[in-house]
Amino acid sequence: MRSLNYVQRVSLDFTGTLFPHAICLGDADNDSLNELVVGDTSGKLLIYKNDDSKPWITRTCVGMLTCVAVGDVCNKGKNFVVAVGAEGWFHLFDLTAAAASKADSSSQHEFQSSEDQKPFFTQHIPANTKVILISDIDGDGRCELVVGYTDRVVRAFRWEEPLDSSEGGSGQLVLLKKWLLEGQVDSLSVNPGPDGLPELMVSQPGCGYAILLCSWTQQDSSGSGDDAPATPGSEGPSRDVVLHLTTGRIHNKNVSTHLIGSISKGSKEESSTCGLFALCTLDGTLKLMDSSEQLLWSVQVDHQLFALQKLDVTGDGREEVVACAWDGQTYIIDHNRTVVRFQFDENVNAFCAGQYTCKEGKNSPCLVYVSFNHKIYIYWKVELERMESTNLLRVLEEKPEFKSQLKVLGVDAEDSAALRALVADVLYKDAQT
Amino acid sequence: MLREAYPFVEDSFSRFPSQSNIYGLCQAGEQELLAATLKGKVLCFRYQELQQKVRPVAKEVQFTYIPVDAEIVSIDAFNKSSPKRGLVVGITFIKDSGDKATPFLNIYCDYEPGSEFNLESIAQSCLNLELQFTPFQLYHTEVQCADGSSETVFLLSGHDQRIHLYKENASLHQFEEQPVERLFPELQQLPSNVLWLDMLSIAGSRRLSAFGCQNGCVGLALVNQTGPEVLQSWRVQFDSPISTVLLFPLICQTEATQPSREKSVKAEGYNLLVTSTIEMAVVYRDVQERGLTKSTCLSESDQWDAVLCALVIDLDFDGQKEVLLGTYGQELLCYKFQPAEIGGDGQFQLQWRQSFKSPLLSILYLDLTGDGLRELAVLTLKGLHILQHSLTSTADLVLERLAQRVSALTAGSKLESEAAQHSEEENDPPAQKQESTTQMPSN
Repeated sequence: MRSLNYVQRVSLDFTGTLFPHAICLGDADNDSLNELVVGDTSGKLLIYKNDDSKPWITRTCVGMLTCVAVGDVCNKGKNFVVAVGAEGWFHLFDLTAAAASKADSSSQHEFQSSEDQKPFFTQHIPANTKVILISDIDGDGRCELVVGYTDRVVRAFRWEEPLDSSEGGSGQLVLLKKWLLEGQVDSLSVNPGPDGLPELMVSQPGCGYAILLCSWTQQDSSGSGDDAPATPGSEGPSRDVVLHLTTGRIHNKNVSTHLIGSISKGSKEESSTCGLFALCTLDGTLKLMDSSEQLLWSVQVDHQLFALQKLDVTGDGREEVVACAWDGQTYIIDHNRTVVRFQFDENVNAFCAGQYTCKEGKNSPCLVYVSFNHKIYIYWKVELERMESTNLLRVLEEKPEFKSQLKVLGVDAEDSAALRALVADVLYKDAQT
Repeated sequence: MLREAYPFVEDSFSRFPSQSNIYGLCQAGEQELLAATLKGKVLCFRYQELQQKVRPVAKEVQFTYIPVDAEIVSIDAFNKSSPKRGLVVGITFIKDSGDKATPFLNIYCDYEPGSEFNLESIAQSCLNLELQFTPFQLYHTEVQCADGSSETVFLLSGHDQRIHLYKENASLHQFEEQPVERLFPELQQLPSNVLWLDMLSIAGSRRLSAFGCQNGCVGLALVNQTGPEVLQSWRVQFDSPISTVLLFPLICQTEATQPSREKSVKAEGYNLLVTSTIEMAVVYRDVQERGLTKSTCLSESDQWDAVLCALVIDLDFDGQKEVLLGTYGQELLCYKFQPAEIGGDGQFQLQWRQSFKSPLLSILYLDLTGDGLRELAVLTLKGLHILQHSLTSTADLVLERLAQRVSALTAGSKLESEAAQHSEEENDPPAQKQESTTQMPSN
């Protein structure tokens, strides 16, 4: 297994403690560059920007923040920052305005009124939140908010505003549906199904997953769309939950499992068909599957995997699966099951991977580790030319002009010793004459 | 400040079970590396081709007669000078049995025809020599024997302020200690313990030999190999222990102002790089002419703790060598020689620097992947990093240079065919015509 070291990193100050889902990367202030959003157990929401070790913006929320997200939750064409506490307080922040005011009055920002610090919107939703997702789950092109709970419940909400409202602030979250699952939900994700429509997937213990059906869309199509808000209150029948258990070596059917969907395949014609998703378990099983339940690969490792992300490290448009273990061992695996390992030298409190603008003023793939020593480390140069080890001759063989040049020079393309001598000669001797 | 980007991509990292030291890495054979770790383990690193894939493999080699409580100090390996064949590996270690620590030198070498280069069988045939001193660097160099043949010998520096020579006794088929003065008269009466030694054969069967000592003394000698006799020798004193000394040639294009006449003046001189644990690294220029009088400092090289290892290689393929320094402060520094304006001396400027996760102990540059392109092996306190040149850009460079060769070839043959045609016109006989056309492709 290929193993390597990343060294270019920045460390950010973070004195609190956090829940594993209270960290995310996203464009919080709508400047097309991503920020790091972290929520701690004392209710502080911290936004880090670039390589600055101090938070760029700090906000205070009610309760213990268990999950944060960035997305267009209100369907207004701009991103908001969402922070949800364990007690059920939902906070919505609009940081675009904050960014503007910070920019033009940087000297005065100490005197910023407490009004500016307040959330754009708060609402109380059922407590015991664990994980959230902002995504279009029913295929209507609008984002919904999905919340997973510690009591094995998943709820979907939609932001709705009265039609006559002129300004924001008058909208609210409306419950769409509640699902009750058999096991703990550790991750929520959306993956294109076999028909190309998004499917809401949640992880289930023992390397399983469940697809949650959005019954309101069926009601919509059957013509009774008006009673949609009425149904969710009642306990939904479990036929809305389609449980899938993957086969294979599962030692413990209660083992904590994570899932990530919509893994990009790169080429356009392929992306129209089944979506790819990956699963990982705390006992070290990693799987890549597509939505027709076909297993692409399975990898067994001897580290306790607790976080699963996707990231295009090679820059070819195909996203690799990134899994992190509590002890810092990180696996990056491509679609062909080529593995690259990286050992982060500390225990990991929380992990995320994605695009972040650290240096050079543009988004680049990053790995983010929250340590137990009051630091967040961002590895900002994690791009690889290729996943596999190779040598120069193999790279040259792929170039058509190389063969023709060899022919003219009278070198046998099959004679590796002659090729080696030629390359060495060209690289280390030619420039001297 | 930094002019160029770091040109390497890490291909693999092998974590070691215990730390190594500055004498812990050597090349063994064409495409293999041996790394010794403190707790008596020796790892062999190479690239293996398996199922059409290139894979880095770090495997432990079980060298015999290294006890479990041994701590390895240094390792070195060489191929015997022709006409002899075979790989020789030397390992020094200290066996600490509690009351008394005993140092040893083990020399591994297989005389069985067919297995002279087989590391597994070499590791099983050992010559065990007990030492009377604590060993430091194990070094090898080629010497000219009295009968005109050449032979590679081990030189081992010790804490007894001496350097010991181990040479193969051809009749006994084994290595034995011989007086160092006979072959290396410049290595007598040393001022202190030698930490690093380097030698370079130069034209006229002469050799430059340099050593750096624990007390900060650097010695340099120009020796006539036939004799041998010391032609000239120089000493200079530094304020801190010397970590490495390195002799290297450098091509100075003094005609920087006239790039069109590239080949006009190209002076090649020998230089000595000296790195010490506190002070800045220094390059002494043209040492065979001027001794240790003309020096240039490598600015900022003292900024990242002690410099522990150094290497001079051409890593941007421009024909001129760069100086690489590895520091305890976890940085790899690259300096490039900037030819001077008229009248000046030229200087080394920091080109780039790269951080590592732990202190750098040793660096080597060799072709591990067997493609003609060399890789940089960096031994750090935690393990071995293999850094590969960016293959995409290097492939482009190779194609560009091959295209130049192709165009030079076609231009050459065109000229020749024109010449041939010309000669045809002048004298018509068909016999000559054939001759000229057959000559054409051979040139």
